[in-house]
Order: sequence, then C-alpha cells, then structure tokens
Amino acid sequence: MNAVVINETKESAPEEPRLLPGDFAIWFFIFAELLVFGIAFLSYAVVRVQNVEMFNQYQLTLNRELGAANTLLLITASYFVVRAIHAIRLEDVKSCIKWLYASLGCGAGFLLLKSLEYYDKFSEGINLSTNTFYMFYLSLTMFHFLHVILGMIILFAVAIKAQRGGYSADDHIGIETGASYWHMVDLVWIILFPLVYVIR
Amino acid sequence: MKVYYNIHTIWLAMMLLTLTTYAMAKLGYSGAVVMLFLLLSAATKAILIIRDYMELRGVSLLWRVIMYGWLLVVSLAIAIAYLISL
Repeated sequence: MNAVVINETKESAPEEPRLLPGDFAIWFFIFAELLVFGIAFLSYAVVRVQNVEMFNQYQLTLNRELGAANTLLLITASYFVVRAIHAIRLEDVKSCIKWLYASLGCGAGFLLLKSLEYYDKFSEGINLSTNTFYMFYLSLTMFHFLHVILGMIILFAVAIKAQRGGYSADDHIGIETGASYWHMVDLVWIILFPLVYVIR
Repeated sequence: MKVYYNIHTIWLAMMLLTLTTYAMAKLGYSGAVVMLFLLLSAATKAILIIRDYMELRGVSLLWRVIMYGWLLVVSLAIAIAYLISL
C-alpha cells in the first residue's frame, strides 16, 4: 500500500528540469562563441545590403560542392559523437572510443576539404584585402576552421582518456563536455554554409 | 511516430536538408521565397542539433531561451537584411 502511495506521489510531482549536459563551465564558453559568431553573421548580412552586386558576383566563385560536402561531414561528425555518448551510457567503452575516432575522422575530412578550398583561392591570389566579400568569406570560415581544430583537440583528449578507462556509464561528464562544444562547431557551420555559399 | 524520431532519422533528415540546399544553389534559385526556405531549412537543422544532439530538451527554460533566442535573432536579422536588399 505504501509503495503505491509513494509511486503516485512520484508521478504527480512536477518534473525537475534536467541539468545542462557536460561541465557547466563549457556552456559559458559556448554562449560566448555563439555571441561572437552571431555578431559576425549579422555584420556580413548588413554589409551585404550595401554591396549586393559584389556579394552575389563573388559568391558564385566559391566551391559550393566542397561547402556542401563539409556540411555533410560536420553533421555526421555530430551524429557520431551522439553515438559515442549513447555507447558510454550503456557501458560500451569500446564502441564509445570507435565513435569518437569516427567523429575525429569526419573533422579531419572537413579540415582537408577546407584546406583544398583555401589552396585554390590563395593560388588565384585571393586574400583578405581582395574585396569586402572575400574579407568576410576568409575571416568567417577561417575563424570557424580554428574552432574545428580546437573541437578536435578536445575530442582527441576525451578519446585518449576513454582508452585509458577514464569514463563509465556513471561518470562520463568529460565526453558530454567535449560533445557539447563539438555540436556548437556544427551549429555555427549550419548557419554559415547557406549564408556565405548559397543565399543570394 | 515516436519510433521514427530518433538520432538516426534526425541525421538522415539533416543530410537531406543539406542536399536540398546544395541543389537549390546548383540550380541558381534566388529571391525572397528561396531565401526564406533556405533559412528555414538551416534553422530546422539548428533546432534538431540543439534539441536532440546537444540534449537541451528538458533543461531549464533559461538555457533554452538563450540557445533558441540566439537562433531566432540571427535568422530574423539575416532574413530582414536580405529582404531589404531585394
């Protein structure tokens, strides 16, 4: 009887909000990064209003195939990290490590394709001072490129710790912290790709 | 419905949305409706990432307001700036 009463009380009690995944400190970092990227996106959109023809003309010179391929890579990298978290929650450390390295592989693919894209542009003599459009294109994507590198360093550190048995189903806050940052990198690119490469 | 809404189908949906965005770029589509469609497509992917991959579903309202608020402000500002330039 008592058990029934306890169960009923539990069911009727309002559900407590869940805590943010990972270390709380990483979220302040994430919010700060999103603020910076948000301001950069708005600057691009506002400056474009005064230079519509130039932006439309030079946007066509960007490699949209590589841009789209990089979007697919980052989304898949995010998906693999989610798989890693699901695996560690089931105490499947081996799978967790496998998914983390798969995600790192996608990140490396992104860096490779982006480097090819930059090589192409730099070979044509394009740089930050070529015109306003390229200034935005290069600075926005390079700033994001650095975040991909940082995200990969964090994920690699997490993968190494996982290999050393540092995480379990009950204790995997480090993986969630790295994953949250990695998703932020993906989130920013999801807006950046259509904004800079496609919308005209 | 619940069965089909999971991390795997979310990944697939985001891949398809990205390919649609690329196809529209390749076909050279432009204009207000296309711009709004592309922004909506990007915002949908962003919501899926925030809600299901970052796992912000069910966290305190403050954090969700910050994340979705960021997305709303950025998307709206981009849309307004592009509509002005048409």
